[in-house]
Amino acid sequence: MFDELQNTLMQIVGSIAWGQWLAAGFLLLLGIVLGTLVARSAGKLAENRISRHHQVMIRRLVFYLVFIIFAMAALREVGFSLQVLLGAAGILTVAIGFASQTSASNIISGLFLVMEKPFEIGDLIEVDATVGEVVAIDLLSVKLRTRDNLYVRIPNETLIKTRVVNRSRFPIRRVDLLIGIAYAEDVERVKELLLSLAEQNTVCLEEPKPFVLVTGFGASSVDLQFSFWVVQEEFLEGRGAMMIEIKKALDEAGIEIPFPHTSVYAGSHSAPFRIQLVDPEPTQNKDRLDADQKN
Amino acid sequence: MTEQSEGQRDGVWAHRYQLASGQTQRHQLGQIRLWVTLLDMEWQVRQEPLAPDADPLTWHETVGSGMPSSDLPEQRFIRSSGDEGLVRYLPAMAPLPTVIRPYQPLTIPADGRCVLYVGNLLWMQIFLGEQQQALTEFPLATPSKTWLGANTMQGEICYASATYGRLVLEAVPIRPWRAVTPVTINNRRTKPLLLERFNLPTPLLSLHRNERGQLWTPGVVVECETDMSSASLRIEPRVTAAAGDCELIAPAREKLAKGRSLVRAFDHIFG
Repeated sequence: MFDELQNTLMQIVGSIAWGQWLAAGFLLLLGIVLGTLVARSAGKLAENRISRHHQVMIRRLVFYLVFIIFAMAALREVGFSLQVLLGAAGILTVAIGFASQTSASNIISGLFLVMEKPFEIGDLIEVDATVGEVVAIDLLSVKLRTRDNLYVRIPNETLIKTRVVNRSRFPIRRVDLLIGIAYAEDVERVKELLLSLAEQNTVCLEEPKPFVLVTGFGASSVDLQFSFWVVQEEFLEGRGAMMIEIKKALDEAGIEIPFPHTSVYAGSHSAPFRIQLVDPEPTQNKDRLDADQKN
Repeated sequence: MTEQSEGQRDGVWAHRYQLASGQTQRHQLGQIRLWVTLLDMEWQVRQEPLAPDADPLTWHETVGSGMPSSDLPEQRFIRSSGDEGLVRYLPAMAPLPTVIRPYQPLTIPADGRCVLYVGNLLWMQIFLGEQQQALTEFPLATPSKTWLGANTMQGEICYASATYGRLVLEAVPIRPWRAVTPVTINNRRTKPLLLERFNLPTPLLSLHRNERGQLWTPGVVVECETDMSSASLRIEPRVTAAAGDCELIAPAREKLAKGRSLVRAFDHIFG
């Protein structure tokens, strides 16, 4: 029984054309190595002329092209007929298609993304609540690096379906700051002050011109919108620096930025509350106690 | 820390200054103060901005043996063996085009012509040794930026500069931190041309120095044939005769590719 099994195994092993399989394996390996080298060279060749996004696309395309040619050669070497294989692949595709609907949908979405090009590698995009820099656009997903350095994978299908905001598409951006000033302040004066701040700040672009709008009369303040334009890369820096300058300038000019006020009426507008001053004696006593404890 | 200076002189562009180890050269030029210190192993460069409304007409330079204040932010550069303490300061034009905006818009009548003298802000480049090894560069005043384009999607970021739009050469103040560019505008239209702003291709302008040490660039000629968008711009091959005999002191930052039209390079001449 054991001898029979051994003989059968020996026959199977003996009948395999090891040389062909080795040659096929070698061809596949060669395909990977050559594909990588050619793709890298193609990427470097076009490095200065095209964007990083296109460079990655070209590299990937060249690699797959070279690898497929070598894979086909390897299959021929082993003795597979490509026609039969392609026929079988047709039937298989249907089966696999049903089995992997999500992956297929992602791949097709990926193709549409590449064609539509709503963003490129290196762009800062916002998808749902995630804001990050695009680090890779792959077959199934797009990878983002968020500002706090997290790696986020977003399926291509999601990107096709959902709203995507590209924050890097245009070279300049507008900063909108909402500022509340007290009702007693002169709005015209504050407007002039804010516009002069934009003029002095070198991050603010001279054109498109900065502007100030009164957006509403709030519960505790007159609400203003101060808008100015900055170079896209200087957005955060420009906004932060301007907010500090606004606070300083309003403080220096004695203009009040009010916190929410609540007015309490005792049932009638004309009847004021009765106020009684309390002797601040307990605080003094506390100080004395602290001093006593030290002694 | 106190600085022991060896007398105040006027600074000169492209002059070979020799420093010994431990010496600091102090400059006051444009709207900055600059300290260049040579030590045994390194060069140190410190800068301090001055008031943005300052308009000095001179360049003061002193060499002393004391170190500048440690409060100033410094840049450090490792010294190469071949510099022998030689340092040169070369002027350069702005690396981006500059939008020139006259304080008061100027109207050029139909078929009229005018020459505006524009003072352009310069950048200072520091070079070391006989090999002219570049150390660093910076503007001599803080330039402001602007956007020039048909809309907020298409256009380019430029530097912005306001000008008095002087029409008489004698009225132009000659400052060592600004170079004068004569801009000729020919209005060939049948309607007057209101000049509110125009784009000067500063990276394409070379710098020349005349016998009095003043800096000039070649003139720029703008021809406006039918409408603003069809205006053509060219740079004259030589510096205007009014500047006197000039020598090339710094080449243009960018060279225009052969056969490329300047009009295409600067689509929005009049904003």
